Amino acid sequence: MGKTRDQIQEYVLSKLVEVSQDWGDPSEISPRSLLFSELGFESLDAVVLGVAIQEHFGCQMPFAELFAELGEQQRDLSIAELVDFVYQHVNRMAA
Amino acid sequence: MTPRTLLIGLDGATWSVLDPLMAEGVMPFLKSFVCAGARAGLRTIVPALTPPAWTSLMTGRRPGQHGVFDFFRMESAENHHQRFFTSHDIGCPTIWSLAADAGMRVTALNFPSMFPAPRISGNIVPGWVPWRQLRLACWPENLFDRLKSVPGFNPRELAMDIKLEERATEGCENREEFAPWIELHIRREQNWLAILKHLMRADPSPLTAVLFDGVDKLQHLCWRFIRPEDDRPLETEWELKVRELCLEYFRKLDGILEELCAEAGPETTVVIASDHGFGPTSDVLFLNGWLAQKGYLKWADAARDQGQDSLLGVGKVARHTWLIDWSGTKAYAATPTSNGIYIVRSQNGHGHGVHAEEYDAFRAQLIGELREVKNPAGEPMVTEIWTREQAFQGPYSELAPDLTLVMRDGGLISILPSAEAVGKRPSLAGAHRPIGVFGARGPGIRAGADPGMLSILDIAPAVLYSLGLPVPAEMEGSVPEDIYESEYRARHPVRMLAAAERQQSNSSVAAPVQMSQEDEQIVLERLRELGYIE
Repeated sequence: MGKTRDQIQEYVLSKLVEVSQDWGDPSEISPRSLLFSELGFESLDAVVLGVAIQEHFGCQMPFAELFAELGEQQRDLSIAELVDFVYQHVNRMAA
Repeated sequence: MTPRTLLIGLDGATWSVLDPLMAEGVMPFLKSFVCAGARAGLRTIVPALTPPAWTSLMTGRRPGQHGVFDFFRMESAENHHQRFFTSHDIGCPTIWSLAADAGMRVTALNFPSMFPAPRISGNIVPGWVPWRQLRLACWPENLFDRLKSVPGFNPRELAMDIKLEERATEGCENREEFAPWIELHIRREQNWLAILKHLMRADPSPLTAVLFDGVDKLQHLCWRFIRPEDDRPLETEWELKVRELCLEYFRKLDGILEELCAEAGPETTVVIASDHGFGPTSDVLFLNGWLAQKGYLKWADAARDQGQDSLLGVGKVARHTWLIDWSGTKAYAATPTSNGIYIVRSQNGHGHGVHAEEYDAFRAQLIGELREVKNPAGEPMVTEIWTREQAFQGPYSELAPDLTLVMRDGGLISILPSAEAVGKRPSLAGAHRPIGVFGARGPGIRAGADPGMLSILDIAPAVLYSLGLPVPAEMEGSVPEDIYESEYRARHPVRMLAAAERQQSNSSVAAPVQMSQEDEQIVLERLRELGYIE
């Protein structure tokens, strides 16, 4: 069964807020937050979050391609973009 | 009484370091431990690398059978994308799932290949998880909050900080960084000790395991200080201070081993094992640079750009996908960790790859040319070359590299663009070697037993045997029976379990389910029939 974009965003934000309580310097987290330059993510952080998202929604998503694209373009990823990515693949699987 | 086993992993431990430390009085407990029990060398699998080797230790199977070849794994045989490995990649039962299936609780801390954590009864803190995400990785879900009550619990120092990890292989930027980096690893091991002791008291498990990974990290960065006889005598005050800090790490580690063994008690079987050994390395083979020189790899324009080191973290995971011009590439190394070469097959639609009918000849040519690569001293750089069929037979073979290289000095290749094919490290470092360590003591284990050489594939059968569990026949190792008293062996014969008899284990992936008492009784009966419980 598909998920709405709002449901996905709520889940992603809630996970990030949950883990950020352990960071000592909790950043304000919003859809516009950038994972790497603002939230201090490293590659493995992105991997762990990606796995948690895939587990939660029960579907495989091509995170490796997404990371390759980010690396090639040398750009960051906002939470809103991450949500778009998840939304696209969750609903492709559900279709 | 339910048998208990404590498995202590020492990542990268080697007798060539530990023996002198025991002789010099730095590790007196370890010395008494191996005198009172068994010791041996422990031959690892190909490649001698942390994720596949620990997964082989946990499963008793080689990588072609369990599916973990590297820190990364090909997403599929049809594309070049590599993703970080996870526990979902393990395609066969582990000692954790087998013990859990037999109704035993399991506590396992800091082992790789355990994220996402198996949903089993017990406590799991996976290794190779960044500290910012550790909460998400712990199992059960309330474990992280429970651990916060342990005095000294500090997730930032306990789990992985990738910038700090990189120093182990890429070096510290300046001398002042060495001391705090070593001291961090001392505190990290003490943090794991505190957590494990807490769990052993509050929530004891028949199978308890912990991995101390500072041994590997220190040996990578500080080999010349730990074993100056492999390089040159230490002279400056700073060099002597770094060595003393390294010795302090091992001194503290010895104390940690002593505390854990005391906590476990004499009736617990204690197994100490490493995933591979260690030795000095000074050469670097720029493998993709060499392939480019030979005309087998074509760099993309992006490879000529500067600034790759400043990439955001994710960039490093996948840079080969855009640094290489696939239209002109027949072979490439995707990661710097596995020393693996992938051959591009033309039928996959990636430009000018190798046609199926040319594959064998191309691979043989590549092997021949690799054997000719020499270091500046004229020594062959590559001493062993394993084909996929030789090293990785099994259901996951097609995801493995076509060739896996073992370097003369055990070193790792570089995958970065380079005009030179061969280079020297700025200073002597440590690199993985095939022979690690094994030690054990406990009920039935002979004092002074020394079987010489065991296989890392023997550890899973040994752990299951020590817990009184049958050994699945498909495991590729065997119980090291020679280390036990003959009387003990007679009373506790090794029980094997044929593949067809073994209940398919879903513990590593299945969500926990609430069972009724009736259901639980049925499961217990079934496990009895299968020989898992008496």
